[in-house]
Amino acid sequence: MTHPIRRSSLNVATLAMIWRRVGVLVALALVVAVASFLSHRFLTVPNLLNVLRQVAIVGILALGMTFVILTRGIDLSVGSILGISVVLYAGLLENHGMLVAIPLGVCAAMAAGLVNGVGISYAGIPPFIMTLGMLSFARGLAFIYTGGTPIPILNESFYDLGNGYLLGIPIPSLILISVLVASGIVLSLTPFGRSIYAIGSNEDAARLSGVPVRFYKTLVYVISGGVSGLAGLVYASQLSIGTPIAGQGYELDAIAAVVVGGTSLFGGKGSVVGTFLGTLIIGVLANILNLTGVDPFVQQLFKGALIVLAVFIMTRSNRA
Amino acid sequence: MSNSSDQAATGGDATALLEVRGLRKSFSGNVVLSDVDLAVLAGEVHAIVGENGAGKSTLIKVLAGVYQPDAGQLFREGRELRLSSPRAAFEHGIVVIHQELSLAPHLSAGENIFLGHYPTTRLGTIHRARMHRRTRELLDTLGISIDQRQPVGELSIAQQQMVEIAKAISLDAKVLILDEPTAVLDEPMVKTLFALLERLKRRGIGLVFISHHLEEIFRVADRVTVLRDGVRTGLSAVRDITQDWLVAKMIGREFPPHQVQVRSSGKPALEVEGLCVRGAFEDVSFSVRQGEIVGLAGLVGAGRSEVAQAIVGITRPSAGSIKVFGRVARIANSNAAARLGIAYVTEDRKAFGLLPNRAVRENATISNLARFRRFGFLKRGEEKAYVQRLIERLDVRLSSMEAEIRTLSGGNQQKVLIGRALAVEPKILIFDEPTRGVDIGAKREIYAFIEELVAGGVAIVLISSEMEEILRLSDRVVVMRRGRVAATLSHGEANENSIMRAAALAGESA
Repeated sequence: MTHPIRRSSLNVATLAMIWRRVGVLVALALVVAVASFLSHRFLTVPNLLNVLRQVAIVGILALGMTFVILTRGIDLSVGSILGISVVLYAGLLENHGMLVAIPLGVCAAMAAGLVNGVGISYAGIPPFIMTLGMLSFARGLAFIYTGGTPIPILNESFYDLGNGYLLGIPIPSLILISVLVASGIVLSLTPFGRSIYAIGSNEDAARLSGVPVRFYKTLVYVISGGVSGLAGLVYASQLSIGTPIAGQGYELDAIAAVVVGGTSLFGGKGSVVGTFLGTLIIGVLANILNLTGVDPFVQQLFKGALIVLAVFIMTRSNRA
Repeated sequence: MSNSSDQAATGGDATALLEVRGLRKSFSGNVVLSDVDLAVLAGEVHAIVGENGAGKSTLIKVLAGVYQPDAGQLFREGRELRLSSPRAAFEHGIVVIHQELSLAPHLSAGENIFLGHYPTTRLGTIHRARMHRRTRELLDTLGISIDQRQPVGELSIAQQQMVEIAKAISLDAKVLILDEPTAVLDEPMVKTLFALLERLKRRGIGLVFISHHLEEIFRVADRVTVLRDGVRTGLSAVRDITQDWLVAKMIGREFPPHQVQVRSSGKPALEVEGLCVRGAFEDVSFSVRQGEIVGLAGLVGAGRSEVAQAIVGITRPSAGSIKVFGRVARIANSNAAARLGIAYVTEDRKAFGLLPNRAVRENATISNLARFRRFGFLKRGEEKAYVQRLIERLDVRLSSMEAEIRTLSGGNQQKVLIGRALAVEPKILIFDEPTRGVDIGAKREIYAFIEELVAGGVAIVLISSEMEEILRLSDRVVVMRRGRVAATLSHGEANENSIMRAAALAGESA
């Protein structure tokens, strides 16, 4: 006697799942609709490309953060790691050129992530504490490296990375989209990605199933660090200056984008596509508030309210 | 002899601290207690014994006001009562000391004892001096020697139990119900606890004592009530009875005869020799052949799961050896176990099994993703086809393999986890309480499936607390008691009596 799978039945769990999948999309559509109603300048190609460029840095950070949060961790150090990479790019470009500066900057960022990962996975330090420590430590390194004074960047081809266009699309946006595609593939199509979800869902069960939990958890922080280095590339290029305060507070924007994008802080649920949409929602909101001339101080209130509202809706739909 | 003691029991109605008569309780038509009488006298230890499912915990819950009985009366010193809630029972001086203690680990003994009614100063702050003094007095009169300023979380389990008992006494408890207090204690601790029970008796407290260890009944109890299938099958003063009498009253029912057919088994698959994990079990030896089921029986806490966990590399043995197909194996983790062909189906699905918010498909394949990997990527199509076959083979009922596993029934969850273990194509499979929290139908299917596996040559270790399960499936039975192998019973020797004796009685090995 066999019981074939019935595909037609719609239960509460699948409804919740559908909400998680398309709810963020619906929210984005809503924000876009309201935005285009409020300003005729919003729904124009230059403005939309502008939004896509403006969200690039936080968007890239948020994609790396998604890996971490899926394992039920948190990475508070992404802003500081970005800062380290920025001062390294600035410091190395002058004498060594891009081919040395970029790999070294990214490697340094990954190394910081590796320290996070080892501390968390092997020494058992809680992610919050370990990355809080790195937040301070990496920022300190950035200050020491520069001696406190920003290093100007004069390299012209490096300038294009943050400000140029390729096929009419801003290069930072192309980097963002490349990272999105790559991380999407890794998370949904590789054993590593699958295991990330398993670790976040129930770490003990994952370990007993033979998942190399400690190694993979370490890897997740290396990814988050490396991705922060990529975001630093865009940052350094856009500002043309290697300032040691680069990226201060960005970790919170990245976490906000992940959360608005529907990834659960309790692990095991979420996607990088959601994070990308979450990034866009926050970006579009900032954009329309700018276009309509809302006081930047007041804009902060909107962002704060949005984050809380998003999580409220999500917990509601989960309980359903 | 039981006649005379029956009279003694019913003679003391008015003097009974707590008495129930004609208690009946059923859950959705399933009768759990029928016509049960019990009287607890002042200054006695009254033991309640019975197998798993005999109705002990339901009886306790009725006495504690958690369940309302369907019929029957409850008297407190001769006055009829209705206990509408645990709060009501508590106000009538009836307190249950559960196995899981309810102390705040970071607070001291005194702070725990006076939690909620701290002596206060005029300013409204806690009057520490007075609290400490009263705690000291209380502990002294009970003969409990602990450092009352230490956080209770740092005390031993036995000392924590005593703090909990002291707390109950300070709240004027007259009837103390101890639910398997010795299950988590070693022998010296048991002695200290029993000494405390003696002192409580002298204070006129009535004690109800639940234990699976029958020899403890003879050490501490004055009278014993035996339950079987929700019916009281025996009541006697302990000095008038023997262990045989107790076991006979507990078992009573006839079991289907142990499987007649003996499986033809192959070469030894798993040989465990002198295995030891400090603090959990010692000197455990047994072997399992291909195509054979070895049952691991014993009481809860006897160390059976710990043995399984050492075999699959969750914990590291401190001594002894494990041989897999004749070769000594050092198993560092679950992956290493899987490579040797050993899989483990956990007893605690929630803590160690389920990926609760992930799809059934992902739950089924997480143990062996390499199987679906081509050039580093997962082949979704192959994975789906595999899970579909698995679902049909194990007859898992679900709406879709994409449903989150937490939405499935216990039985179907268990089938998926069995499927997960099969994904590594095990030659040795350890089932730990495979039918816990599983309905009858799924249970039968799981039995059939285990038999199918063993017929296919898999070597199986079956850990179970259900006598029927052990007897029905096992070719041989290893009985553990307090971290040691108490008996190894051949097919012919294993029956309910021999297993129960080895598991529950000290100094008797079959």
